[in-house]
Amino acid sequence: MPAQATSTDAASRPDFIQVDQFSFHYGPKQALFDIHMDIPEHQVTALIGPSGCGKSTLLRNLNRMNDLIEGVRHEGDIRIGGTSLYDPSVEVISLRKRVGMVFQKYNPFAKSIYENVVFSLRVAGRGRKTELDETVERALTDAALWDEVKDRLHDSAFGLSGGQQQRLCIARAIANQPEILLMDEPCAALDPLATLRIEDLIIGLKQRYTIVIVTHNMEQATRCSDRTAFLYMGKLVEYGPTLAMFERPKEPQTEAYITGRFS
Amino acid sequence: MHPQPNAPDPKRFEVSRATLWFDRFMGWAIRFGGIGVIIAVFGIFYFIGKEVVPLFRAADVEPAGKLEAPAAATGVLGIDEWGELPFFYQAGGPVAFRPVAGGDGFELEVPGLEGAEVTATAYDPVHRRVALGLADGRVGSFLVEYARSHGDDAEVSAKVTPEPWFPLKSGAGPVTAVSYGDSGGGRIIVAKRGAGPDATTTVLRLAMKRGLIGAGKLTALGEVEITTELGAEPLILRASQNGSMVLAACANGEIDYFLANGAEVTKRQSFSPFDGEVPRQMDYLFGGVSIIVTGPGGEQEQWSLFRESEDAERMFGLTQTFPPLGDGDVLFAASQRNRTFLTGAGGHLSIRHSTSGKTRWEGEAEIAPAAAVLDGKGEHFLVVSASGEARRYSVEDPHPEAGWKAFFGKVWYEGGSGPVYQWQSTGGSDDFEPKLSLMPLIFGSLKGTAYALLFSVPVALLAAVFSAAFLPLSVKRIVKPTMEIMSSLPSVVLGFLAGLWLAPILETRVPSVMAMLIAVPASALVMGFAWCRLPIRFRNRFANGSEWMMVVPVLALAGWLGWQAGPLIESIFFVYQDPATGREIADFRLWWPQATGLSFEQRNSLVLGFMMGFAVIPVIFTIAEDALSNVPKSLTAASSALGANRWQVVWTVMLPVASSGIFSALMIGFGRAVGETMIMVMATGNTPVTEWNIFNGMRTLSANIAVELPEAPVGSTHYRTLFLGAVVLFLMTFVMNTVAEVLRQRLREKNKIV
Ligand SMILES: Nc1ncnc2c1ncn2[C@@H]1O[C@H](COP(=O)(O)OP(=O)(O)O)[C@@H](O)[C@H]1O
Ligand SMILES: [Mg+2]
Repeated sequence: MPAQATSTDAASRPDFIQVDQFSFHYGPKQALFDIHMDIPEHQVTALIGPSGCGKSTLLRNLNRMNDLIEGVRHEGDIRIGGTSLYDPSVEVISLRKRVGMVFQKYNPFAKSIYENVVFSLRVAGRGRKTELDETVERALTDAALWDEVKDRLHDSAFGLSGGQQQRLCIARAIANQPEILLMDEPCAALDPLATLRIEDLIIGLKQRYTIVIVTHNMEQATRCSDRTAFLYMGKLVEYGPTLAMFERPKEPQTEAYITGRFS
Repeated sequence: MHPQPNAPDPKRFEVSRATLWFDRFMGWAIRFGGIGVIIAVFGIFYFIGKEVVPLFRAADVEPAGKLEAPAAATGVLGIDEWGELPFFYQAGGPVAFRPVAGGDGFELEVPGLEGAEVTATAYDPVHRRVALGLADGRVGSFLVEYARSHGDDAEVSAKVTPEPWFPLKSGAGPVTAVSYGDSGGGRIIVAKRGAGPDATTTVLRLAMKRGLIGAGKLTALGEVEITTELGAEPLILRASQNGSMVLAACANGEIDYFLANGAEVTKRQSFSPFDGEVPRQMDYLFGGVSIIVTGPGGEQEQWSLFRESEDAERMFGLTQTFPPLGDGDVLFAASQRNRTFLTGAGGHLSIRHSTSGKTRWEGEAEIAPAAAVLDGKGEHFLVVSASGEARRYSVEDPHPEAGWKAFFGKVWYEGGSGPVYQWQSTGGSDDFEPKLSLMPLIFGSLKGTAYALLFSVPVALLAAVFSAAFLPLSVKRIVKPTMEIMSSLPSVVLGFLAGLWLAPILETRVPSVMAMLIAVPASALVMGFAWCRLPIRFRNRFANGSEWMMVVPVLALAGWLGWQAGPLIESIFFVYQDPATGREIADFRLWWPQATGLSFEQRNSLVLGFMMGFAVIPVIFTIAEDALSNVPKSLTAASSALGANRWQVVWTVMLPVASSGIFSALMIGFGRAVGETMIMVMATGNTPVTEWNIFNGMRTLSANIAVELPEAPVGSTHYRTLFLGAVVLFLMTFVMNTVAEVLRQRLREKNKIV
């Protein structure tokens, strides 16, 4: 059992996700080097860093999406709530039900809005109409989309705007009420207004979900994250509370990055 | 002078001449290529159309000159095989020849007729024999023999050869009707003496006695009087051209059919086509198996010899009716090549085809014809009036047996017991009638395609799904090119293997194959079920995608066990009992026909399905696999991230998105199967059957073309029908592809990804 956090929220564990000396290889290429960080529960943790530094790799390891790639290898361990993801008794399918994911490019299925939201329930074999209906309303409300789509739930998801589609993907990811929500540059393909709405949403969602978000946008990190990790060339350079890190970066590389001297 | 480093170079906006030229050249080259392809496609359509269209043309009849025949030439009218020198014979007179090219004709006396009074004549256009009956009770004949000189100005010459006279022993009075049949060795003459109720009818049998030297001598073997067996006085007597039967149309309206077999003349049947009314005309068609009769009201019917059932005797039955003729004497002349005949009454003429029942041509003669003759090739006919005016017409009707009904409808062929769909384009004898129904071939194509797809579609699609969604990339890199190489195997090699290697093996191992077909999929299912029950700790030791290493040995073992279990299964379930001896034999080949009544052939649809698999599976697999692999990773990733297992990812995301591509794969597989020729030719028995039985073969449109086109004379009905088969094949694939494309677009629209 992880140690109980001493924060105001008794239920929040400061080391809910433990990344423990974690290294990761794509075949011959090593993408992550000895990452060690604890991600607290019910907070938003941002991963920043230049392109190719390994943010997505780290994120995708949190729900073992990287397993789908051939020839990958890892060292070290990642634990969620104290249980290793690599424990032989872990069923990857149920892990992914605990850890939802939102991708950079909104990717709804070629189905209706309704069917997109209930997809995770359907694959889990839960098809009771009342449960599905409740889930759709709750998830879409949580994703701040309900009022916009409640009259056309059975229309194609492709009829929505980009920002709405991304919020639909968030609704889809939280429909099954996971514990953790991973977001890989969720606003990269959106316009500024849609981006703002998603950021508001993220702040609202952290009450119930532990959120790990990859972003390229410094302002986004400051606006909606509690803690920030700066990765550079596969290594964790600096990790700490967001405000402190942006005001007084400890490492010169961090400072260079957040002041925009390199991307 | 050096340009300034930053000074703008005015040339930088120019395009080089070479680039422009090349662009223009390629523009034209591509246009030329594109238009060339379109022209070539239309050229092919034009060529095929040119071959097919004449099949559906009606006959074309044009006047082709006049002749002056001897006055009152109402007797016999005959013509040579080149259609150049017709002759007219009036009882008792000389034989008058009149060249159609114009000019004077000549007359030849019939030797040995001096002083005799001819009271009956009959003409057999095959042997060009005029049979005669005399007032003194003698019967006999003479032949009109033509010869043609060789060279450019070839001339036809003629001579008249008398044959022996035979005095009839039975009956009295003048011979009032005569008919002659000749099979070469044996001959018959049927003759009637006298008239009214006292008339007698006799069949005289003749034989050619071989002498030591020379052609031999015609001698009478005996007479059989058939008067008492007739219903009434015979008004029309007809011996068949080969002398095997005699038909007599009697005054009470019945037609009596006698079979002449050796020394016996037996009455077989008596039938009344017109309810007691006497037919106005009765004649044999080419082949001597059918007759055309015209009733008192002009109704014309075809009656043919056929067996009602397998072991019944051949009897006459009504097989065709034609539009009625008008009043007046009925004119009739049968073609010497096919089942067409020229008929008419009251100056109205028509050319009819008996098997199809169709009127090929109809028109008014310029004269009132009393007799008609068709030349040997069926290219001309001649009619002559009672006053001796003759008119010649040219006939252009190369494909009388063709037509929509002949190709796509049920046709009652001569000798058959009912209308059927049948393909049999060539036969042994001259009077063979081609049977050109395309339906058995269309059926064959559909059957072959269905069995090919039945075997290959499940395998190909499951393999594509497995490869796209379950197989590790490293294995897939080997599997995919291997499948592609498989599709490049020449189909003649596959056909050869199918016919000569696989067919003999499968023939004796049908139960083994059945056991394998059940054991292999069942073992996979059982294994999947067992795998799910294993603890997760154990399963996690194997990487996703490596399961195939465990599956392959299991499948191989299941296949082997199935194969070995075959004989055991056969000895339990497929025991044939010999109806004669009661002995029991465990042999599927004997059991199947006994149990189902269907045939068992070595080269059957099962063999075909297996071998076609080699041709079709790679095609479907490759395209379907591409479609599945090209499903965006973002979608499969999204669905895995939502907790879908691999099968659910396939089912909920990959298959819907790839459905239009998979559909295309199936269509291309279908096209490959429909058009496949060599495997179909070599792996199936090529029998044009119309049953779905898996243990016999089929004849497909494509195989039919491949097998028969080399033997079909260019321009013949057979040749053109093969082209029609090609058109049908094309239309089949065209319609299928169009429907499929529409469905595919719908699928695509439904599962479109923005
Ligand atoms: N599927 C893959 N196969 C091989 N190398 C990969 C793969 N995905 C990412 N990489 C490599 O790993 C490194 C980290 O990539 P990524 O995590 O996507 O970076 P980021 O998301 O920070 O831009 C990059 O150098 C990238 O080239
Ligand atoms: Mg990334």
